[in-house]
Amino acid sequence: MNKQDLAPHVRRVIARQPLVLCALGLVLAGATATCHRQQSATDIPPNQASNEVTIYVSTDRVFSEPILRAYEQKSGVRVNAVYDTEETKSTGLANKLLAEKNRPQADVFWSNEPVRTLVLKKNGVLASYDSPNAEGIPGIFRDPENYWTGFSARSRVIAYNTNLVKPEDAPKSIFDLADPKWKGQVAIADPRFGSTSFHVAALYAELGDERADDYFRRLKANDVKIVPGNSVVRDMVARGEVKLGLTDTDDVNVALEAKQPVAMVFPDHDGIGVPVMPNMVSMIANAPHPEAGKRLIDYLLSPEVERMLAQSEAVQIPLHSGVEGPKNIPALRSIKPMTLDYSKAADRLEDVSRRLQPILGL
Amino acid sequence: MLDLVASNTTVKGITLRLPPVLPSARAITLGVAVTLFLLLCVLPIIYMLGVSFVGRDGSFSVGNYRQLLIDARQRELLLTSTLLGAGTALLATIIGAPLGVLLARTRLPLKRMLRIALVIPLVVPPYVSALAWILMTGSTGFIARWFGSDLLSAWTYSLTGAILVLGTSFFPLSMLATEAAARRVNGRLEEAGLLIASPGRVLWRITLPLIAPTVAAAALIIFVLALAEFGVPGLLRVRVFTTEVFTAFSALYDFGAATALAVPLLAVALIVSIIAKLIIGERLLVARRNLHPGLVLRLGRWRAVVIGFLAIILAASVVLPLSTLAIEAGQLERIIFALGTSGDAIFNSLYLSTIGATLTCALAVLLGYGRARSGARLRGLVDLLLIVIFAVPSTVVGVGLIGLWNRPGLVGAIYTSQTIIVVGYLARFVPVAALMLAASVRQIPVSVEEAAEVAGASWWRTLTRIVLPQMRTGLAAAWVVSFIFCFGELGATLLVAPPGESTLPVRVYTIIANTPPAEVAALALLQVGIILIPLALLGFFSHGERGAR
Repeated sequence: MNKQDLAPHVRRVIARQPLVLCALGLVLAGATATCHRQQSATDIPPNQASNEVTIYVSTDRVFSEPILRAYEQKSGVRVNAVYDTEETKSTGLANKLLAEKNRPQADVFWSNEPVRTLVLKKNGVLASYDSPNAEGIPGIFRDPENYWTGFSARSRVIAYNTNLVKPEDAPKSIFDLADPKWKGQVAIADPRFGSTSFHVAALYAELGDERADDYFRRLKANDVKIVPGNSVVRDMVARGEVKLGLTDTDDVNVALEAKQPVAMVFPDHDGIGVPVMPNMVSMIANAPHPEAGKRLIDYLLSPEVERMLAQSEAVQIPLHSGVEGPKNIPALRSIKPMTLDYSKAADRLEDVSRRLQPILGL
Repeated sequence: MLDLVASNTTVKGITLRLPPVLPSARAITLGVAVTLFLLLCVLPIIYMLGVSFVGRDGSFSVGNYRQLLIDARQRELLLTSTLLGAGTALLATIIGAPLGVLLARTRLPLKRMLRIALVIPLVVPPYVSALAWILMTGSTGFIARWFGSDLLSAWTYSLTGAILVLGTSFFPLSMLATEAAARRVNGRLEEAGLLIASPGRVLWRITLPLIAPTVAAAALIIFVLALAEFGVPGLLRVRVFTTEVFTAFSALYDFGAATALAVPLLAVALIVSIIAKLIIGERLLVARRNLHPGLVLRLGRWRAVVIGFLAIILAASVVLPLSTLAIEAGQLERIIFALGTSGDAIFNSLYLSTIGATLTCALAVLLGYGRARSGARLRGLVDLLLIVIFAVPSTVVGVGLIGLWNRPGLVGAIYTSQTIIVVGYLARFVPVAALMLAASVRQIPVSVEEAAEVAGASWWRTLTRIVLPQMRTGLAAAWVVSFIFCFGELGATLLVAPPGESTLPVRVYTIIANTPPAEVAALALLQVGIILIPLALLGFFSHGERGAR
């Protein structure tokens, strides 16, 4: 009712408000386009020494950002970064890189696990680059064709709840998880995604189809809980919803830092070994700033970065010998990495995902 | 009939004022709006459909569609998804529609604060609500600990659990839509009814039939939202079809197959829309400018029941989840720390969502107008088109946008700036806003426009001075919903965002994995708090309410 009492000019303003808002919106949008325009990568002719570099990073931002900032300080080159997370199921930087293939915006891709890098290599998104700092990284963590170089690694582990499981009872092998003793007490992340997908592909490559199929059938019969991600596995173990879970070192470390009742086992020391997953860094084919990209890759492969990643809460295991490892994690030489042909495992990914769907009821 | 008259009058208007060769202002404006809609919302999807028909060797192929739905597993997943969507839509409407009527038609204490409190569930990301429910009712949750036995976990990890979580998250959509529609119902009709009938009968036979199409439209939108959801079902271990689409994207990196897999979801959305249309129809009477208070429900002895209903809804959807998160987050310092490090992301989110919601509504109001004033058959088709476009998974939209916008020149300049995030908002949310606004336009009689036309007003003047002011409530509701959607948008933003600081949801999402649950809870609370500030300001300072109600 009070609307009737308003002076006519106020009414007029109210009536026009939507238009005023539209106009304002358009002006703001225009302003954004001009002010916030990142110096478009392709505006600069390639090969010219450039003052900036664009990197797509799937190593968690809390760990990668300080390293990129340190590089900015050191080199004076501006680093434009796009972050992502391994847990991403909806999308992921690999999809962005694939979609941008015809007009790349990124110079460097820093992945926190092997799978995506290998998919990108297969799709012709990457370029070859042999960094001088790759010297000193063991050959199994380097691509023979130099499309990627591994550094700072994580490992798959069995996490257990220390309130519910005594250390001496904790399983020593992933095959124990199919033991009826642990029925309904084991959680794993969806094996179609992230590091778990790499783990299962590695198992199929190592064991052969028949034995691997049989293992996962027994896991399913043991009422394994399949959850969205490795951090969910960790949280379920920490809360005691399940006694055991298959997850990653860095995930377990989060629980250790938070003083939760969780401990980990590096499984199959006396058997097939455990999949070790390095970070991987690659050059993008037809990158807008190739030279700046190479310098950034050199930096990322330096012992200095491995030390930073080892000492941060990412607890990454250094691959350069002589770099001190993280406090909660044993050194590379004391665990038994699975002897893996990464590209062979990657070739199995798609087929293993499809194969596991009916077996695990996904 | 009315539409026919309207278009005749318009034609006459043109011949009187302008040379016949020039198109009218109305035709130009609506033409521009439709073109923008096609470019922003439809083209990315057509692009992706095109991709899905390209085989591995680059030639035309239907290979991506050949495997679709032939195995029992996929059909079962599609059924689960449909049940999840239908159950959620039903539950959200059962809760939301009565609340909308209460807000519009009763005298309740603290109504503005109540409305804001009831919108909170919509701004909590559903994934976070699910997390809160697991902390409450999971096998080691609060309830299990209090009672010393695991009473509710089987129920939590089930389709029913997922429906309850999503239903309590999405009911505010139904509430806002119902309230906006109920406020627009002509008071005179109800007053005439009240002369011979009880208020309850008037409510059932006059008010509710008039707002039914809007309630149904909101239910459809909720259905589509639940159909597209995979975070909540994943957490509650319910297998749904949507995960198939994302598997194709992020496990197999096959854009064509992913798009093809989205088609069954779109088909379900289409079929459900058609069924809804057949049941509800368009039982819409033209309402006049609402100067009459119309039906005011006196609660009387029902007051206690209503207050009890409100208390239960607020407890289950707001108080319990938020306090669980607050307990989990523990110290206030965590939230303050999260706030301190997220300044740029918060700023980006607020201003990009404000621009996004404003442009979305600007475009949607024109589309809604065009849809409401077009012929009945076209109207039906447009509705179906809008709902199907809204059902397209965000990743499909994101990849389509990259394919279209990442090219040299001006278009590329937009792609490499934050403007592309707003483009993503428009691509995803213009259809849903247009659906909501079309309902509001339909409630404005064509005769008022004809009167203005006869009096010599231009169409533009009629639109801005007569049509828009009358749909103020609907416009405000659509803006709020668009703002909440834009603020929470993740799927497309993650893909198209340029280097540099992105939006708050992207920030929360990219730091969530290696963060203890306590900090995730703190960040979630922060996100809810930030989005509530502008909404609360809007709620308190808007003139949306008229004294009589």
